[in-house]
Formats: sequence, C-alpha cells, structure tokens
Amino acid sequence: MARGIELLLAAGLPLAALATTRSLRHDFEWVSVLETRNSDVPTYVDLGVADVGIVGEDVILESGRDVFEPLDLNFGRARLSLIRPVGATGRIGRIASKYPRLAARFMEERGQPVDVVRLSGKIELAALTGLADAVVDMVETGRTLRENGLEEVEVILRSSARLIVNRAALKLKAGVLRPIIHRLADLTAETSARSAGEY
Amino acid sequence: MPIIPDGTRFTLPPEWEWRESLRAQLEGLFSSFGYEAVQTPSLEFYNANHPSAAGAFKLTDRDGSVLVLRGEYTTAVSNLVRVAYPNGPWPLRLRYSGSLWNGGRDPELGRAREYSQVGVELLGVSTPLADVELVTLALEALRCVGLPQAALELGHPGFVRAVLGATGVDDQTLERLRRAVDRKDTPGLAALLAAAGVSGAARAAALALPDLFGGPEVLAEAERVATTPEASEALGRLQAVAENLPDRRFLFDLGMARRFDYYTGVTFRAYTPDFGLPLVGGGRYDGPPSARLDAAAIPAAGFAIGLERLMTALDGPPATSAPRAVAVDAELGARLRAAGWRVEAAWTADLTELETYARARGIPFLAQNGRLWSLKSDESLSVQEALDDDADNAGSL
Repeated sequence: MARGIELLLAAGLPLAALATTRSLRHDFEWVSVLETRNSDVPTYVDLGVADVGIVGEDVILESGRDVFEPLDLNFGRARLSLIRPVGATGRIGRIASKYPRLAARFMEERGQPVDVVRLSGKIELAALTGLADAVVDMVETGRTLRENGLEEVEVILRSSARLIVNRAALKLKAGVLRPIIHRLADLTAETSARSAGEY
Repeated sequence: MPIIPDGTRFTLPPEWEWRESLRAQLEGLFSSFGYEAVQTPSLEFYNANHPSAAGAFKLTDRDGSVLVLRGEYTTAVSNLVRVAYPNGPWPLRLRYSGSLWNGGRDPELGRAREYSQVGVELLGVSTPLADVELVTLALEALRCVGLPQAALELGHPGFVRAVLGATGVDDQTLERLRRAVDRKDTPGLAALLAAAGVSGAARAAALALPDLFGGPEVLAEAERVATTPEASEALGRLQAVAENLPDRRFLFDLGMARRFDYYTGVTFRAYTPDFGLPLVGGGRYDGPPSARLDAAAIPAAGFAIGLERLMTALDGPPATSAPRAVAVDAELGARLRAAGWRVEAAWTADLTELETYARARGIPFLAQNGRLWSLKSDESLSVQEALDDDADNAGSL
C-alpha cells in the first residue's frame, strides 16, 4: 500500500500519505483512493468503479478478471509455489490454497486432477496437519517454510505488483491515464534494473 | 434451493416497460435504416466449434442429440441467411431482438447468464462504406437511447494477427501473445517474446501493439511500426473507414484482439463515461476463417447491444404512472380506454374499499355512473373535464 502511494505520488498525482483513520475512501484534489482487500482490487477495476488499481499478478490471475495490466511496478515480488513437507513424494490428491483457481489449473496442466480446498490463511498448516498433501501459496523468503519443515517443490509463477486499468477508462480517460502510466514506467524501470535476478 | 437459477432474474413491471421501450426505440431506428426483423429458434444444435460453445446451456433432444440454448445471434442469423437467402439479394439488411443464454458468464453486475440483445447484420457486401454505415448506426443507436456522450472505438484483428504472425512463433505461443496484447500486458508480452527468441523489427512491432490506441493519429503511428503487406492491408481498410466517418469522435485501438479467429475485418465497441463495460460489440466476419461454421462465406458485418447492460449504464427507469382510473361503470371504462387512458375494472361494488385501494396505489379517479370522481379534489367531473384536466397534467405524469 505505502509503496503504491509513494509511486503514484512520484508520478505526479496529488496525493498524500493516507490518514490512518477508519475511512475507506480518501479524496484528494481530483483523484480518490479506495482501500480495498487485495483480492477485491481486480473486481473494482473490472467493473469500472475504480479506473486503476495496484495489485499482485498472483491476485489478478486468480481473479480471472478482464482488465488491462500495462505495467510491472517491480515491487512486492514473491513466488507462488507448490509446497510439501520436506521429503514428501506420495501422490498429490488434495491441495489447499488461497488460490484455488491457479492451483487447480497448474495441476490440470500436468495432467493430475486434484481436489482443491480453499483456505483463507496460514495455508502451511494444511500441509503440516495432513489436511492436504500439498499447498499452493506465496513465498517471499521461504523462512516460514523452513521453520515448519516444508519445502518449495516447484515455482508456479513469479509475481510482483502490477498496475491494472479498466478497459473503458483507459480509452475514455487516456489524456489523464496515459501520462501517469508512462511516468510510472520510467519510475519503475530503474527499480527493476536494480532488483532484477533477486527473486 | 434458490428459486431461480444463478444469473437469471424476474423482470418487474417498471423494468419490463423500460426495457421494452428501449427495445422499441432501437428497433425503430434500425428499421428506419432499412433493417428487417427476423427471429431464429431459441434451441440450436450443439456444435463444439461454435464461438459460444464453451458456455452453452445444453439440453438433450428426443433422439439423444445435444441441443443448446441460443448463445449468440450472429451465427444463428448467418445460418438463416444461408437457408432463406442463399443468393441474396445483396446487400441484405436484417435485425434481430431476443434472449441469449450463456452459462459461462459470471452472474454479476451487467453479466447475467440470461439477457436480451438487439442487433443488426449487413450481409453480402464488404466495402468500407458498409463498415461506416454500421459504426455510424451503432453510435446513433446509443444517442437515441440517451447516451449521446458514448464513444466508439475501432480496431482490426487482422492487424494484430499480421504483426504477431510476423514473429514466426508456433500457434500455442501465438495465442499466448494474443492474450497478452488483448490485456495490454506489456511486461508479459516482452517475457513471451524473449522466451520465444523473437527479436528485431518483429519484436518491436509486437511490443508497440498495446500502446497503439487513441485518435485517428494512431493509424499513421501503426504504419511506421508494422510494414508487412497483411498489416498494411488491415491499416488501409481502417484508413478507408476512418476517412468516411462523419466526425472525429471515434477512437482506435490497434491492439484490440478479443476474438482472433472470428472477426476478419474492422471490429468496434462503444464506451460511455463512468461505466466500465463496453455497450456495443460488433465487427466484420467475411470468412472463411477456421472457426466459422458456414463455409459459404457470405461477407457480413453487424453489431449487437445488450439491453440489460444498457439499462445499467443509463440512470434508471423513468418514473412509471399508476392507471388513471378504476371503473365501476364498465361502459365509461371502455370510453376512457378508447381515449388512451389505462383503466382498471372494479373487482368489487364496495366503493369504500375501492377508494382505499385507489388512494394507496395513486390512482386519481373512480369512474362511476357516467362521471369521474377525483380522489385528489373530491370533486365529481364530467368525462370531458377529466380528459382536459389530464391533458393539463400530461407533462407531469
């Protein structure tokens, strides 16, 4: 969130650090910022309530929403991985995940249909307790996994924060949105040169 | 157990009247341009190559063959034309209006699984002026239903196909590239091109696609980027259409590549401010691309407007009025109806009960003994007085 605001500010939007009040909507000069749950960002943008959103590639793909995604903002890097208890080799019959859609598609592409259980958090616990044979979850450093005797078996996708744009808004508000996108592209290109290969 | 399936809905009187009045306006407009109405069956044979096969609602016929509910009009109308007008006369102008079903859609705002569409097909001709007629008519249609600020955007999937085809990648990669272009996913596009080993001018042209949108100036920009004969042909066509458009309020997006294997010529969609979903979808499909069902390949183009989505984009139904009277006097009721009033028949002789009912529903008159009793002023009016009073208030109904 903070990094997203920072970027938008640097791109010339009239924003300020969001007040830590309970308000969900922050109005500035000619732009409003909505605070939504991560997974709801693609919904707000697809349905045109928000013109643009900042959200991870993992969330965009899981949502299946029909949005433009012109920019990689090069922060919030993480991997979506298949995770199992260290040394596990048995057949995977059931997977637990916050990403049921991506998990099912990944296994389907390997010709292994599985049952996918949708969980909301602490996904690793499912693998530890035998609720599932494997879990699909985001990994940043892998520390939690190591501490719990789990390991990444395979990386499904590498994600980072993306700028997404509503299909109609990009066309009708091109005069406003295009310069912002171009400025953000310049701003984030530098970061990407620095951090390439880090994940 | 829900009462009705997901993504379907009951239509109540105010909404029904509104929807049908929009339908009538659109059909009237299309008719004034010479488009004649046709209808195709709601039941169709299942065909795995049909563009909407994936989301089709399936049924089984007596003999075991699989049927589907109509999921799209264009293919249905082209089947009708093949049977009923195999040799024209061209150009043939047809319009249609009815329900469609698509089980694959997310049942949410503007994306119901049962919905109504009104549209036109212009068959047998493939000139730029035919494209101009359709895009102009689409814009006019939105104006006539109260969306004068709508903007129409033109694209040409042939251009995207030419530019991506020049990269020389296999079909599977080509489809991935198309999807990335359609989402304007420039980082994803760059990664795919790198993985496929595409470089040089082909790479540069492909990477330019997502940003080739805006006013007519993007056509010149596209010309600089893409130089293959196929790309130039597509651009030439768009140019020819653009030159004949009545004003400059048209947008272009040369990265528009939703349905690669379906449309073969100019495609277009409409946007309206503060509404996130496109309102009109249309284009040219002269065939015979692989996925088309009819090998006969009659050149055709058309567009459709979804009525429910249109209603979501408009502000809301106009206020509806209650009937003007409840008639105890049946003969007077008939006279008033002949004069254009909506009049309910009394279901009881109990005047007190009728009065209570009429007040609650906002019905202004009770018709009895040859006269009209106004519940508002508690006066008894002659028929003529009531009709005059009605004419005075006509503006405020």
